[in-house]
Amino acid sequence: MKHSALTDFLASNNISAAQIRDDYDRRVAEANQQANEEAEHNEDEDEGDEFTPESPEDKAKKRKRQQTIERIKKSKEFARRKSKSRRTGEVDSDDDDDILANEMANEKSRPAPGQLENCEICGKRFTVTPYSKTGPEGGLLCADCSKNQVNNNKKGPAKKRGSGIGRRQNQSKLLDGEAIHGAQSLLEMCIKKVAENIEDVEEFGDLPPPVMRRLSQILSRRRAVSSKILNLFLRRNHKELNIYDCARLETDDYHRILALMPDLTKLNLRFVTPMKDHIFHYMIENNESIRDLHLDSPNLVTDECWRQVFTKIGPRLQSLKLWNLNAAFDDETAQVMCDNCTGLERLKLKYVEKIGDETLTAISSLKTLKYLSLCLLRETEPEPLLQIISSIGSNLQSLSLEDFKNADDRLLQSIHDNCHQLVKLRLTNNDLITDSAIASLFRNWANPALSYVDFHGLRDVDMSNPAGPPDPVGLASDGFIALMEHSSSKIESLNIASCRHISCDAYETVFAENKQYPHLKELDISFNGNVNDYIAQRILACCPALTKFVVFGCFKIQDLKVPRGVVVVGTVRAKLSVEGILQDETL
Amino acid sequence: MTAHRPRDGRLPAEDRRLRDLHDSTRSNIMASTPSEYVTLVSCDGFEFILPRSAACVSGTIRRMLDPSSKFSEALTGRCVLETLTGIVLEKVCEYLLYNEKHKDQANVPDMDIPPELCLELLMAADYLDT
Repeated sequence: MKHSALTDFLASNNISAAQIRDDYDRRVAEANQQANEEAEHNEDEDEGDEFTPESPEDKAKKRKRQQTIERIKKSKEFARRKSKSRRTGEVDSDDDDDILANEMANEKSRPAPGQLENCEICGKRFTVTPYSKTGPEGGLLCADCSKNQVNNNKKGPAKKRGSGIGRRQNQSKLLDGEAIHGAQSLLEMCIKKVAENIEDVEEFGDLPPPVMRRLSQILSRRRAVSSKILNLFLRRNHKELNIYDCARLETDDYHRILALMPDLTKLNLRFVTPMKDHIFHYMIENNESIRDLHLDSPNLVTDECWRQVFTKIGPRLQSLKLWNLNAAFDDETAQVMCDNCTGLERLKLKYVEKIGDETLTAISSLKTLKYLSLCLLRETEPEPLLQIISSIGSNLQSLSLEDFKNADDRLLQSIHDNCHQLVKLRLTNNDLITDSAIASLFRNWANPALSYVDFHGLRDVDMSNPAGPPDPVGLASDGFIALMEHSSSKIESLNIASCRHISCDAYETVFAENKQYPHLKELDISFNGNVNDYIAQRILACCPALTKFVVFGCFKIQDLKVPRGVVVVGTVRAKLSVEGILQDETL
Repeated sequence: MTAHRPRDGRLPAEDRRLRDLHDSTRSNIMASTPSEYVTLVSCDGFEFILPRSAACVSGTIRRMLDPSSKFSEALTGRCVLETLTGIVLEKVCEYLLYNEKHKDQANVPDMDIPPELCLELLMAADYLDT
């Protein structure tokens, strides 16, 4: 036998290489034998669990296990898990108690943290920790396999939505005017995602103003604009600020807006309850550029302050929009406004409680006005409106008069005579104006075709006579035909909700085979009970550009073939089939 | 990162990424016949080849590739988007194919946008008019 240098060296130090090898072989053999014995022993034990134990050793083991189970049954953990399973609706009985206790006893026999164990998936030996996960077969997993297991589980359970929720979301999207087929634009998806994660955004960077506006709309709708989020919108180089819900802002935040954006020309803030006089004083002193002031509900601002604002910055105001004022802003303030705002082009006063006829008279002196929108809460006389139309009607491009209950046919006659530049016309909620007056407004009118018409709620209200008087009141057949003849070429948006005296024949005439309304995008015919499937189908055929079709309360619409890109809102149990779309669920 | 391969396999598998910036022969081939595929190149040199119809979901890319414009992009079928990084452009391409795939479907599932990417992607979407 040839000896190696190492063997020689070991021998010189009185160590035998052969001895070492023999010892090693013996240890391996012993370990193998022990492992085999253990395996057999385990098998015995497993069988012992299932079958009746016979040997005294097994009996002892069973007694011990029984004791463990008894102990478990008394433990707090057991009570907790029992109540949990009861909550989840499982049947509760003594049998279940035993099953649960058995389960827990098995869990206890798992290796405790700190011990070594072989991973069930990869077979690697690892130290058991409290965080070790259970594998698919019930054994423990090593750290890496645990991680993978968690990741798989995360992806695993797909979001299951009940049909009810799906339907509700669809309806919600419809009301927002979103088509529910095809993908959203990437821009819209990103904006929504940014809004979702707004708390993590540190800065918007150079987002263009339209995107900022959309973000503001989404955040405002969630009432999420707080002081911190407002900071994201305060950009020195931007000239406009639109926040549609300021309910969470405080008085100081308005100071910051004005201080940080000195070049602001347009300030559009809604729900500005904490806005007080001294903010306006600050604005008067420090801001030289605001031209457009749109404020909703600044109710803590006093009349005195309003008058100061108008005398100081009135001459440079181009547009003024105020909503929901009930504590201040009276006729006298309105008079100061009209005297000082000499360059005003847009004026909107909606739900302003303290103003009435005197204000209307004052408005007729605003010669520069191009866009006028009024919705007062007080009842007014028809004459001041006539005065407005006769003195400034010739400049008006947009006229919106909502809820003027006492306005009558003379108003329409005056509009016919004076207004020749109108693009938008809104007259709503009135039951004095007659159909014939509306028809004669549109016949031989020098005004070009209108783009935007809203006549909703022009109808007779008499519960005892649902068909209305013999001479129709409100927008009825004749007026509707005249309107559509006059404006067919340009009309984009039409709202005739609740104008329920328009007959089927009138609809058929207006939406006949040879008629086309190439620009009509939004149409609201809610509560026009006469509209049936045939008429609705004609409407869809005559309006190729239609995107939103509102039909609340049109119960005769039951089965409609909808072109792509059109959103139909407000049907009840109707069957809508969209062309070329794979429909997952009925709406 | 993985190549964009449409899940259903209906769209061709060619939309793989190349790291080669100087693939001039490909451009020449594209110049002779308007190809069904176009190449989008990010500022850091990643190339994405995808169907023309999908790329034209983006208004900006559609105008770049409009044959009547005689832009070099239209002639070569290759758009170099200097403002977009490879990571953002990858996501944009994913969206373009996602849009194409789902255009005839109701109740489209949302595309996954990683939050850390969404501001950059927002700027890209604004630029690309998608």
